[in-house]
Amino acid sequence: MNYFRYQEYLEVYGLGRKLFAGYVLVSLGMLLAAAGGSWDITNHLLNKPETFFAPPHAVLYSGAASAVVGTVLVFFASKSGGRSAGRMIWPVKLVIAGVVMLISAAPVDFGWHSAFGLDGLFSPPHFVLVSGMVVGSAGALAGLAQSTKRLPSVLIVIAILPIWLGASGMIDMLSLPFSETEYFNFNPHPTLGVVVATLAFPFLISACLIGSSALAGKRFGVLSMAGAAFIIIGILTSIIPNSALTPTIPFYLSSIIPIVAADALLAFSRSRFSLYAAGTIVSLAFFMLYYPLITYTYNEVFESKVVWPSMIAQIYFEMIQNVFPLVAFPTAAMGILGALLIDRLARNKKYYNNIQQLS
Amino acid sequence: MLKAIILTAAVAVALVVYFSLSLYVFPQSYQSIEAQRPQAIVTDVRLSAPDIVLGQALTISVTGTNNGEDADMQIVSVGFPNLTTTDNIKILKHDFDQTPILIAPGELLSSEYSDTADSSVLAQYASIEAFNRPWEAGKTYTAEIEVIPKTEGRFVVFIKSVALPHTWEQAHYPQDGTVDQQKEFVETYPVQVTKP
Repeated sequence: MNYFRYQEYLEVYGLGRKLFAGYVLVSLGMLLAAAGGSWDITNHLLNKPETFFAPPHAVLYSGAASAVVGTVLVFFASKSGGRSAGRMIWPVKLVIAGVVMLISAAPVDFGWHSAFGLDGLFSPPHFVLVSGMVVGSAGALAGLAQSTKRLPSVLIVIAILPIWLGASGMIDMLSLPFSETEYFNFNPHPTLGVVVATLAFPFLISACLIGSSALAGKRFGVLSMAGAAFIIIGILTSIIPNSALTPTIPFYLSSIIPIVAADALLAFSRSRFSLYAAGTIVSLAFFMLYYPLITYTYNEVFESKVVWPSMIAQIYFEMIQNVFPLVAFPTAAMGILGALLIDRLARNKKYYNNIQQLS
Repeated sequence: MLKAIILTAAVAVALVVYFSLSLYVFPQSYQSIEAQRPQAIVTDVRLSAPDIVLGQALTISVTGTNNGEDADMQIVSVGFPNLTTTDNIKILKHDFDQTPILIAPGELLSSEYSDTADSSVLAQYASIEAFNRPWEAGKTYTAEIEVIPKTEGRFVVFIKSVALPHTWEQAHYPQDGTVDQQKEFVETYPVQVTKP
């Protein structure tokens, strides 16, 4: 056994330490902002009275502040860098673009509220904000991946989660029926919402989880840690705030089983079949991993009930046996596509050339 | 080869356990959990006077409570079957978390304690809905409303409270009495309006 393969170490190249710290702060900030956003959506669903100083807002703004500080660090480190820093310019550009989008969405959102009152989940400023999260997080992940020979497991999880959560937020915007206001109806057609959710969520889960495994050199544990972190954030931000859902925590926690199974497949077998199987397995858990919000999307087509917050679990568990067999095939196909995309990226010759040059 | 067989078997067993739990065991167990049972009640109604002179304002204070489990929403409704506009109704003060809303004739209302769109009816007269989302167990809220009757004679005020989702009989108040435009029970409070 090659023990070295299982040993985590951090080697930051040249004067990339400041850059590295900046990327970490950006990833952490985006993670906090995305988790705060998820918590805020839950509180809106529960109609909890809201002030500027509400706890979810505090988490969201702390995350935005961390991302801004990280971006400033990244910017100055890249400016003062020599040859090695110059090579990292595109992740820096992505980070700056993402954080500028994130920050600029705030005054636009204020203007939107002033003009049109209450807004829904999908509004132009919200779209810019979530796009900024995804772009900035992708930049930070790319920067981190280029800064070190091998990222520590925890950093892989911290870097991949904001992309996963941000992209999930984007899919939520395009699939959940939460965007009808007095002036605009941005709600998707119910069937379109179901199609978007059925195709996009499995692809995203597969790409993010298998991506985390690829970044870790397929060593066992990292994919499971990323999945566990996603589940914990879901419990903290979407389930615990709604007391009617707390009995369903064991159900939600059980989704760690296919995630660990996929992790084991990738870690202990390097065949292409294992890659496809892992993509299929994690993607099939999408209907469970996106509980409870996904209830609203599928209810529009399958149940057409009024989804009161206290009735979410009842409606979800009434339809799960009907929905799952119908979505299983496209879900598995999208899971395999996600796995193939990551495999393609990992095999990208240019990527390997960059790593070799950095070495 | 043996390693591959063991790995495949372990993954297969894990998946069988997972999908059995997710698709059969948990759904069965969670569907047997009973829905929350809020108990809506109007605990206090005060009218400023039993008789008023035409043009004079009538003040109504209504207090509602949830004596059961948490409700996602509970409404205290004050209806004015003699009024076809909302322009002479004012909310003086309230301690509800959300702002009470005025319902004008022609607006869509749900009926028969149902929350589905196919049970909607058109409002025939003016009313006010004071509500809390959510309305926690044991909490009490009060609203004070001012209304100026437009004609002399008998002026009637309808009062009721409904908790949603309407999971059992005690989720509405009163349990019997007059039936309003929404085919729901109300308490009636008549006031005599006399010539100035």
